[in-house]
Amino acid sequence: MSYYEFYRGSSIGMALTDSLDELITSGSITPQLAMKVLQQFDKSLADVMVKQVKTKTTLKGHLHTYRLCDDVWTFIVKNASFKMEGNEMVSGQRIKIIACKNGEAVEAGKK
Amino acid sequence: MTFHLQQRITATEGILPTLQNIVTTVSLDYRLDLKTIALHARNAEYNPKRFSAVIMRIRDPKTTALISASGKMVVTGAKSEDNSRLASRKYARIVQKLGFDAKFSEFKIQNIMGKGPAYSHGQFSRYEPELFPGLIYRMIKPKVVLLIFVSGKIVLTGAKVREEIYTAFNTIYTVLCEFRKP
Repeated sequence: MSYYEFYRGSSIGMALTDSLDELITSGSITPQLAMKVLQQFDKSLADVMVKQVKTKTTLKGHLHTYRLCDDVWTFIVKNASFKMEGNEMVSGQRIKIIACKNGEAVEAGKK
Repeated sequence: MTFHLQQRITATEGILPTLQNIVTTVSLDYRLDLKTIALHARNAEYNPKRFSAVIMRIRDPKTTALISASGKMVVTGAKSEDNSRLASRKYARIVQKLGFDAKFSEFKIQNIMGKGPAYSHGQFSRYEPELFPGLIYRMIKPKVVLLIFVSGKIVLTGAKVREEIYTAFNTIYTVLCEFRKP
């Protein structure tokens, strides 16, 4: 089974990629091993998102555009505000949400 | 023509049904790659497993279009004939902008639905409260179906032109007045 690679673009994914790059240049690991690590990262993050992350947030805003194609929803929300658990507010003028189906039909999102 | 008709109907206490929904079809006369449309157009949904057409919406006039691969398009939700035509043209323009040589042909109004406020005729009527709380009246001339509710609300559908809605409403109105609840 293959997993989405989009978590590699998250800050934790970027940090991992950078570290792996460094290790490759210094000759500590082979590029093949680095690829394996990244694949494991895709799998683990997908698992963690489904099983361990229970935090919820509510999003309000003006839905500017939506799209459904190939089981992927894309939303562009203008003047969006996220209300986190603990009453923290985060807002953005234009937010893009990409939601994909997971193996267990759980949606995963990324900014 | 419209003007005269409205004049006559306004005579019955000035109540005119308002048009609620207009369904039109148009042929773009060009085979379409629906996936390209779904990927590039805004506010489009395409899930071939569930429905074989792209569902697209625009905000002005607020309407929904179903676009099929054959190039046939159904536009629903407009409140007037002109709006429906304008919306259809806008959808055709969107498809054109995505690189398809779409035309605008065979534009046809398929159904007009009206709703009238107001306050029964045996052989045309069916009233089965267990099934549906309204009375269903199938008028023959004009060929319009009316749903009449105890509240006095009337829904008219199945018309091809606006005048049919008005005539049907006018006809039923006189009948219904006899049955006004005290």
